Amino acid sequence: MALSGYHLDFPLSIVLPHSLITPKKFLMSSSTHHISTDKTLLTVAGALFCLTLLTAGVHYLELPQPWSILAAMFIAVVKAGLVALFFMGLYWDKRFNMMLLITSLAFLALLGGYTLLDTLTRVHIIPGF
Amino acid sequence: MANHSTATSHADFVQHHFVTADQQFDSAKLGMWVFLVTEILFFGGLFTAYTVLRMTHPDLFAEASTELDTLWGTVNTLVLIGSSLTVAMAIKSAQLNQTKNIAINLGITIVLAFIFLMIKYFNWMHHFSLGIYPGTAYSFTGIDDPHASIFFSLYYLMTGLHGIHVVVGIGVMTWLLVKSLKGQFHSEYYTPLEIGGLYWHLVDIIWIFLYPLFYLIH
Repeated sequence: MALSGYHLDFPLSIVLPHSLITPKKFLMSSSTHHISTDKTLLTVAGALFCLTLLTAGVHYLELPQPWSILAAMFIAVVKAGLVALFFMGLYWDKRFNMMLLITSLAFLALLGGYTLLDTLTRVHIIPGF
Repeated sequence: MANHSTATSHADFVQHHFVTADQQFDSAKLGMWVFLVTEILFFGGLFTAYTVLRMTHPDLFAEASTELDTLWGTVNTLVLIGSSLTVAMAIKSAQLNQTKNIAINLGITIVLAFIFLMIKYFNWMHHFSLGIYPGTAYSFTGIDDPHASIFFSLYYLMTGLHGIHVVVGIGVMTWLLVKSLKGQFHSEYYTPLEIGGLYWHLVDIIWIFLYPLFYLIH
């Protein structure tokens, strides 16, 4: 009977995340989730520890600006990327969640970009400051 | 109307409006990611303020930053990374039905979160004792800049908002610990662990940016 099939009598299921990307996996069990090995998790954590010590070390080198801030932010972006990809599982996850993250960063860039277009082209940003 | 022929195959943990456990898991995860998007933009306003103020007061930021203890900032970064690792380990333990390891890893996570807050508390108390308060309460005379309080107001706002998230995270982790001790998580159902973990990792990521922006300036 067609009415008992969720995909036939409930059109909203089309907009649900899982069916949006891989309709066939819709009926599979949760055993398809990625399970990280100890080795993966410890390697990522080790890399994050090393990068933290590296960025602290670069700080004491006292590189001239803008290289100092560029190096610090580059290392921070790499660390954040490692956390997002492997600890948060985006590497194995549905691409939709990755798209959400990238969209939020795009809007953050818009916020920062338009704000700087304003503040960088004024003589006095706030009177007295 | 739909008869609930699929409901008979429903496990206890699958709510009736979901067809499968997988669909429930993915929907919860999607919802968490949407929340994390709002969190990124919430902190984003402060990061934008930071960018504008640092560009207009580069020398102040370099000088004021020396009042912050780089060593303890680094230690706190390592502490939070360690806690992210244990959260990931807790999720892996649930996936492998290692019930005891879920609780152990969550316990370590909570301890690390308290260590983070304690270090932050002593940092703040040290600054307060010098008269380094946010806004107009600022009375420190060690920095020769009339706008010195700008840096520290941002510092308190951003680390404070982050600290509130750590406190909330401790609450979430405690709730998860209680549930894990009751044996509610296993390889077929660990959704709260997964999305609680996502929150905790985002709090970690935000600190990964706060650390160089406040402690590693010169």
